[in-house]
Amino acid sequence: MTGLEITPGAWLMVVGLGTLLGLDAISWPQTMASRPMVAGTIGGMLFGDPAAGFLAGAWLEVVSSRHPPFGAARYPETGPSALIAGAAFALSETGSTLALLGVVLAGWTIGWVGSYSIALLRIYNGQLMGDPAAFGGDPAEVARRHRRAIRIDGARAALVTGALFVPVVLSVRWLETWPAGDRGAVLSPLLAVIAVAALAGVGARLLGGRREGWPPFVLGGAAGLLLLWVAA
Amino acid sequence: MGYAVSPLLQRIHAGDPVALRSALERHAGSFNAHPYLSTVAIGALARLENDGGDPETFQRFRTALRGPLGALGDQAVWAGWRPLCILVAIALFCLGVEPRVAALGFFILYNAGHVWLRLWGIRAGWAAGLEVGGVLNRSPLRSVARRLTPVNEALTGVVLVLLVARTPGLQFSPAATGLATAAALAAFFAPAPGGRLGMLVLFAAIAVWWI
Repeated sequence: MTGLEITPGAWLMVVGLGTLLGLDAISWPQTMASRPMVAGTIGGMLFGDPAAGFLAGAWLEVVSSRHPPFGAARYPETGPSALIAGAAFALSETGSTLALLGVVLAGWTIGWVGSYSIALLRIYNGQLMGDPAAFGGDPAEVARRHRRAIRIDGARAALVTGALFVPVVLSVRWLETWPAGDRGAVLSPLLAVIAVAALAGVGARLLGGRREGWPPFVLGGAAGLLLLWVAA
Repeated sequence: MGYAVSPLLQRIHAGDPVALRSALERHAGSFNAHPYLSTVAIGALARLENDGGDPETFQRFRTALRGPLGALGDQAVWAGWRPLCILVAIALFCLGVEPRVAALGFFILYNAGHVWLRLWGIRAGWAAGLEVGGVLNRSPLRSVARRLTPVNEALTGVVLVLLVARTPGLQFSPAATGLATAAALAAFFAPAPGGRLGMLVLFAAIAVWWI
């Protein structure tokens, strides 16, 4: 129906990478390969368009900045979600703003699905390690339980990636065709442009939103415009 | 924490399985701090175990370290170093650097700081033991966090302009660009409820225009 073919090998590759990126954020090694920009680029590379993956990841970075992992705050998981978003944008037919908006929204949603699955995992980890006296201070038992927690985190990330990758790709493909007709042709890019710009505003507010932060933010914006002008 | 500190404890209490078990029970409980700066606690606690002393003191010290390590790591890494590396990489990509190079550049730059911090933490903790609070106060981490804040704010402005320009479909149609700018400004300047209301009105107006 879509003319799109995802081989089992490609699906397995996405699931494998989603597992590793899911592990990176919390279990090991926390190198931030799971940041949207990196994970999105990897997703794009898998399907031949790293630039598309990076762009999707960069927008997810902007959106994700709303929830920094301070203290015990809950925040969206970025590894598997950005991997899927980057791959889905690379696989989109038009590479349009609407498709970009679709993958950013999908990535955001998957990020929260991942976040809730991590919350469940932490409850389990609490039970696993909660009473040190229960395993009698045996170093081998501590190591066994630690590895078990990592394996379960990996399985969790694999499940999130494997279950949501294909549906997201197909949804974005469908979204690109919506809504049909002359009005839709005008409306959909317009809505997408507005929504993307609003996301930009939200991201800017969150990263540079302190009142005393406005002057450097505005100066930075002016420098960006100057760079664009010079580059043109 | 128990897993991380276990190799050190096995060396410290070699030949004394009872002391090892007791030490591991003390350290295998929940410990919530910044993951990179947890190495400070690992080093300091291992030093205390090595030097010997009252286990109650170890426990109180362990609890007291969590908050400061968490707060310092959040400010220096999550709010300072990480956004800086991300923003530099996105800016480079928007200026035409190959995406794989930009992503790899982020990975290398960020992890240079990350790995240094972990190594510094374990050494500082081991060297200072109970006095590690003073080391944290004298460390450059606080001033780094303070200095990076305006840099990140300025870079956010740069990146936002470059990213919008790099996004397909945002350069054409004066009407769309005007509405987009208005929406972005509304989202940036309005407080959260006002921003949501503004966006709702904007979308309602577009829906009415369409119908």
